[in-house]
Amino acid sequence: MLRIMVIDINLNAEKVSKEEVEPSDRELVLQSQKGDVQAFEQLVERYHRKIYGLTYNMTSNREDAEDLTQDVFVKAFEALPRFKGKSSFYTWIYRIAVNKTINYRKKRNRKRALSLDQFDQEIKTDDVYHDLTSKGSPLRNLSLSELQIKLNEALQSLSENHRIVVVMHDMQGIPHEKIAKVVGASVGTVRSRLFYARRQMQAELSEFIK
Amino acid sequence: MDLLLRRLLHLKRYETPSLERITKNKHNIMRRVRDASHKSRWTLADLLELNIPWFFAEPRYGIAALFIVFAGLQFLGINSQKTEQNKVDFYISNRNLAAIESPVTFSTNHISYPKLPDNLQLFPYQQGNDQVKFVERVEEKK
Repeated sequence: MLRIMVIDINLNAEKVSKEEVEPSDRELVLQSQKGDVQAFEQLVERYHRKIYGLTYNMTSNREDAEDLTQDVFVKAFEALPRFKGKSSFYTWIYRIAVNKTINYRKKRNRKRALSLDQFDQEIKTDDVYHDLTSKGSPLRNLSLSELQIKLNEALQSLSENHRIVVVMHDMQGIPHEKIAKVVGASVGTVRSRLFYARRQMQAELSEFIK
Repeated sequence: MDLLLRRLLHLKRYETPSLERITKNKHNIMRRVRDASHKSRWTLADLLELNIPWFFAEPRYGIAALFIVFAGLQFLGINSQKTEQNKVDFYISNRNLAAIESPVTFSTNHISYPKLPDNLQLFPYQQGNDQVKFVERVEEKK
């Protein structure tokens, strides 16, 4: 009992000190709205990885993802004076990213070739990877790059609306409710899209998923 | 099967850009942000794209919305024309529009004549004609 309390106190202390050091999104947004570029730079640092991850997985093309990430942050900075804080900054910037990505894809009708980032070497320490490449798994003879291409091709075979929910839920771990806010649909619609998207991906990857 | 797929998708988290590319991308973002902070001018396209993103995301809906607005305006225009034709407006002004004072009429026997200014010559003088004589002044009846 005492031990649990000590851990809890330590966690709280850590949380407080983190809050003291790092300003909240709201504070940074307010400062940015007043024209503080450095405050906005902190928001870029905070959300760059997530926005890049979203655009990269939506396009499977790192050059496009880099361009889109730039466009998203610049657009967000320009639109900040009209951000009223009705939703969180996180939801708001995701909404911009989703709209930008879908528009970008629509403008470029033709299918782009895959241009993929490399797998981090840490993957080899992941239990999931270990299981999937172990004896008896259909993936055991597949190289890492082959697996990557198959996954991205399967992802690109989905429609925009289906791909966005797979990327946000299954890759970025965002809950259904937040996805619904970002894409402007009901939670039920998000669940249904996720269901159909997974079914289609299973069909695409049927040779590995048995 | 669903679980296996989710485990496969979980692996995509390890696809990450190199640190060098990330840093370069962040620098590019901040360079553009600094440029944008200097010239904070909005184009109509920017405003539209931010306010009604669905218009650009789904152009067919945008075009359909434009058509509905156009049809609505046409309908309103036709309606207002019809009401204009059926309506007669009366205007009242307090200003004295005429320079001539409003005619005050008086009656001689049964016929009413407007009052004329004193210096108005009704008939030319008949000069050199001795046969015309003054007979009687007709006084106005009150």
